[in-house]
Amino acid sequence: MNYFKTILNGIVRENPTFVLLLGMCPTLATTTSALNGFGMGVATMFVLICSNTFISLLKNLIPDGVRIPCYIVVIASFVTILQMVMQAYVPDLYKTLGIFIPLIVVNCIILGRAEAFAAKNNVLASLCDGVGIGIGFTLALTLLGVVREFFGKGSFFGMQILPESMHILVFVLAPGAFITLGYLLAIVNRVSRS
Amino acid sequence: MKKLESNFVNMAVSLLLIAAAAAALLAWVHEVTRVPIEKINAQTLSDGIRSVIVGDRPVEFEVESQVGSDGYTFYRAVGRDGQLLGTAVRSETEGFGGTLTVLTGFDPDGNILGYEVLEHSETPGLGAQVNTWFKQLSRGDSDSQSALGMVILGRDEPAGNHNIVGMNPGRDDMTVSKDGGQVDAITASTITSRAFLLAVRNAYSAYMATNNK
Repeated sequence: MNYFKTILNGIVRENPTFVLLLGMCPTLATTTSALNGFGMGVATMFVLICSNTFISLLKNLIPDGVRIPCYIVVIASFVTILQMVMQAYVPDLYKTLGIFIPLIVVNCIILGRAEAFAAKNNVLASLCDGVGIGIGFTLALTLLGVVREFFGKGSFFGMQILPESMHILVFVLAPGAFITLGYLLAIVNRVSRS
Repeated sequence: MKKLESNFVNMAVSLLLIAAAAAALLAWVHEVTRVPIEKINAQTLSDGIRSVIVGDRPVEFEVESQVGSDGYTFYRAVGRDGQLLGTAVRSETEGFGGTLTVLTGFDPDGNILGYEVLEHSETPGLGAQVNTWFKQLSRGDSDSQSALGMVILGRDEPAGNHNIVGMNPGRDDMTVSKDGGQVDAITASTITSRAFLLAVRNAYSAYMATNNK
């Protein structure tokens, strides 16, 4: 198996947000600014890489009958570790992302990759899949965040570009998330078809 | 190695072992991060007390803390000359996403000197603005809402006030304007705003009750 191809597959061909349409809840909720989207993407990537690696390592020790509870225990442990580490060392990011970190446990991308990939492939391939899907998710969330922040707050990663009179508040609110996602999906589909 | 068969013993043992290993790992990480987390919380509190009472002024003071009834904690900031600068009151309410912990600074007459949100679980980008919203310049001072935004949201709000610094909960009606009060709620986050103002009013009542004893 070509490991580089596995990584690229996660970023482009099976991009979790734009192609698989998985994990929509954190995608829509946290992308109010580019930095929030990026932070959420990196946090999810960390959990994804760890859980993919460990589930692949443990796959022969886990009987099929209890595989879902075992996967959830592994995923939840890494999320809790992430939560404590963030609280201790990056309290500002933890404050902004707050409630969405524990929700990574039930992010279907992570359980989906555990079930669809890590349980069937070797450790290195699973790690690469985690890296690829993680980067794909981070890129998608950052892109959504950049667009919403630009139109809604007139800034790019916190740098003010547009004057306040040109802000369109709806982009920061929930409907703006759906609108932005819809247009980005249309663009991605158009580009990938040609 | 072959995959374990799904019989009762295998399933029970495997799940138990994985859960035990996870618990051990978490206990270790908790031990490692406990001290930094406590340090950060203590730092947030002492920075908060300074910020809500003296702001940016370089005043030195000592803090006497006192746990009041009903879970309110008072931090009395006493200057070097023995004069009471103000009291920071820690209060909690239920916000939109969870507990909202607010530290409000009052001068001896009960006027608000400042506030800090110590902990919250509000929605990023919306309710999470509670950290800054109620001490910002208000709409009307600056044109903060775009014309297009107003059209889309179908609102044309009059200029209002959402800066609570200097207000006095005993004198002013500190509820959101939707409820007939004098404070503008955070756009699209009325529940958070109500919870926040309730925390401030509760802090005021608790403070006045202990103050007048």
